[in-house]
Amino acid sequence: MDHSAESTSGSIGFLTVIRHARHGLFGGYLVLNRAGRPLEFHCTAPVKPSRAQEILYGPTLEPYLYGEQIGSTLIRQANGEPLFLCTDVAPALEVAKHVDFPVVLVDTRTNDTPEGPTSVSNDAAEPDSAVIRRLDEAHGSPPALAWFRIGPNRLGMIARRETDRGSFEERLGKVAAQLDLSEPFERIREAIEEAQRGRHG
Amino acid sequence: MSDSLRSDAVQKAWSWHAADDPIATTSDDPVVRVEPFSSGLSAALRRAPRIKVRPIRLVEERSRVVSMMLASPSLRVTSVRFAAAADAPVIRPLPSRDGAKPSFPADRSCSRRRTRLRVPRDTVKLEDRLFYMLQPPLESWMAGLALEVPFEPFAYQLEGIAFLYPRLAAILADEMGLGKTMQAITAIRLLLHAGEIRRVLLLCPKPLVGNWRREFGLWAPEIPLDIIEGNRARRGWQWRHDTMPVKIANYELLHRDDDLLTSAEMHVDLVVLDESQRIKNRSSRTARVAQKIPRTRSWALTGTPVENSAEDLVGIFEFLAPGHLSSQMKPRQMGRLAGDYVLRRTKDQVLSQLPPKLYRDADLELSPEQRESYRLAEDEGVLRLTHMGEAATIHHVLELILRLKQICNFDPATGHSAKLDRLCADLEEVAQSRQKAIVFSQWVETLKTLSRRLARFAPLEYHGKVSHRERSRVLREFEHDPNRSVLLMSYGTGSVGLNLQFASYVFLFDRWWNPAVEDQAINRAHRIGVTGPVTVTRFLSLATIEERIDQILTEKRELFETILSGTPGPRNLGLNRDEIFGLFQLRTPQTPNHRAA
Repeated sequence: MDHSAESTSGSIGFLTVIRHARHGLFGGYLVLNRAGRPLEFHCTAPVKPSRAQEILYGPTLEPYLYGEQIGSTLIRQANGEPLFLCTDVAPALEVAKHVDFPVVLVDTRTNDTPEGPTSVSNDAAEPDSAVIRRLDEAHGSPPALAWFRIGPNRLGMIARRETDRGSFEERLGKVAAQLDLSEPFERIREAIEEAQRGRHG
Repeated sequence: MSDSLRSDAVQKAWSWHAADDPIATTSDDPVVRVEPFSSGLSAALRRAPRIKVRPIRLVEERSRVVSMMLASPSLRVTSVRFAAAADAPVIRPLPSRDGAKPSFPADRSCSRRRTRLRVPRDTVKLEDRLFYMLQPPLESWMAGLALEVPFEPFAYQLEGIAFLYPRLAAILADEMGLGKTMQAITAIRLLLHAGEIRRVLLLCPKPLVGNWRREFGLWAPEIPLDIIEGNRARRGWQWRHDTMPVKIANYELLHRDDDLLTSAEMHVDLVVLDESQRIKNRSSRTARVAQKIPRTRSWALTGTPVENSAEDLVGIFEFLAPGHLSSQMKPRQMGRLAGDYVLRRTKDQVLSQLPPKLYRDADLELSPEQRESYRLAEDEGVLRLTHMGEAATIHHVLELILRLKQICNFDPATGHSAKLDRLCADLEEVAQSRQKAIVFSQWVETLKTLSRRLARFAPLEYHGKVSHRERSRVLREFEHDPNRSVLLMSYGTGSVGLNLQFASYVFLFDRWWNPAVEDQAINRAHRIGVTGPVTVTRFLSLATIEERIDQILTEKRELFETILSGTPGPRNLGLNRDEIFGLFQLRTPQTPNHRAA
């Protein structure tokens, strides 16, 4: 089968990170065209933070791993820039600091949920007893998000980057009303598992 | 303190006590003479001290450093890039037409039902597996392409499309009436739109060419078709020129144009064989030519992949994946190996909303006249076969069977028929309720006799003696004329490919050798679109050859069910040579074995 590369202009990026109890974190990045068909797929080998990273990064560890280490690495592998990037894990929003296109968090819960969260909780929160509060806590707390709807999708954007929202809505255009932006994450998760099975045997 | 000083002190103390206390006391003399002695201490005090110095370091020479590396090593990334699907298609959706059916509902793209492609187990390359796994659900895919569909497909039909799409070799073996045609057309349509295929060849029985043309017009109106027909020169031009992405041809052309079809430049991306039981005999000319067509993908459509024996499936696999199955395999092993290539669903499994199919077995006693004729014919025939001994062939036995079966229909001398009496009574009821009925027989002569005897019902005829042009008119009249409520149809021409779901009654006037064929006939009426239950009346003459055949065939259903485990098969399979001789308690002559029916 011919899988030669093509331009990603007009494409949409989907980034997710899944946590495996034994192996650590796996990142996956899928680039789709506007019809929802795949153009590129990239996934990482498992990432496991060292103990030193856990101690010294503290609550900033996940945004660092999801956004900077995994997210940025995967996006750099792609052929071009997507119109915008969707993620379904809040810490991956950190990647917005490293790219020039809008990044949104997709609320993947069922659409009939009346109201979603007003802020994003860290999905890898430790039990309270293990949390170390830092004096400079502003660095570790999840960013405040501004939520909005486009078509069937409920989307969140870092509040201080909300100026991106206009750009995002402009880029998504009419496509948003037709696209279910939560669906491609299912594909990525399956593909990551398949790639790992392929890798190990 | 010196002794003299001490004495003074003691003396003073005593004085103080005497002054305070009037009681007189006696005292000793406290004066002691003190004389210093030489200890050498005074000299030591006059000597200069000696000082020892011990250095203590207050600053370490080198700090102890514990280094922790926080920068992570670069990540290992697996990357796959796919072909430019959107740039490649040879087909574009048609612009909206006036009165056109709506395209696949856009809101389905956001529904919770997501039908994803079923990746074949034999897809080895990770890149290829990921390509199929990462395709969108069919619901959003079709909505995104704005493809026009006459109605929304059932969930199981989307599953069928998701099964066919990624497969290089596949058998869609759904029970008749579940929409194999629509599933194949939609899978072809998506592949063409995706640019994954460009040349398709569809082979089907000749009477079904028109049906495929209609179905393509319904389910994929934007796909241009080329029906291969005409004289050899015209066909040669059609075969060689790629004016249309889909070519439709009948099986007979495999014989006539085999040199063109098997040449290397004929290579097609997909060959679809409809009613693929036509190639079950792998040594037949049809099968051999089909196997040689240069192609990338091979699909087979059939409701009966195992019609007579497991060998039938081996024959179809010789076209799909040569050598994958062999006749020596046990049914269970064959079923395991074929599993990922075959998709079979029955109506009971997937169409709980389809109205029921009600069977009525009309087990009838022959009329006295028929019984007498039957007895004479059987006695005479068996006697003749017995006298022939080893010279008796399968054809002699079959002749006798056919003779007896015809007597079960009508007494040749008087025309009496227990079946006809019963049929007339039933058709009265059908006509009164303004319903439609189809009557099947294996003989044209029987149908013609019925046509005369049932004249008051103004029956229509559809069989091999009716021209192809006339057949379309017959079907239209049967559907639309309220005064034409009975259609007399032969198994051979009416068992496949026709949609007669407006008929509520089916009568099997005589029984076919193979109930799979009967099922196909019944399912002309009992299929998608049927609005009420379909009543099937199966005539069977008691204590005759019909009853004996039925008993034998009933026992053979298990083979189908073993190979295609989990799906009920046709009710039975064909008869072999021993079984046919055994119908008359005759010993099979020692001649080479042949499959009989």
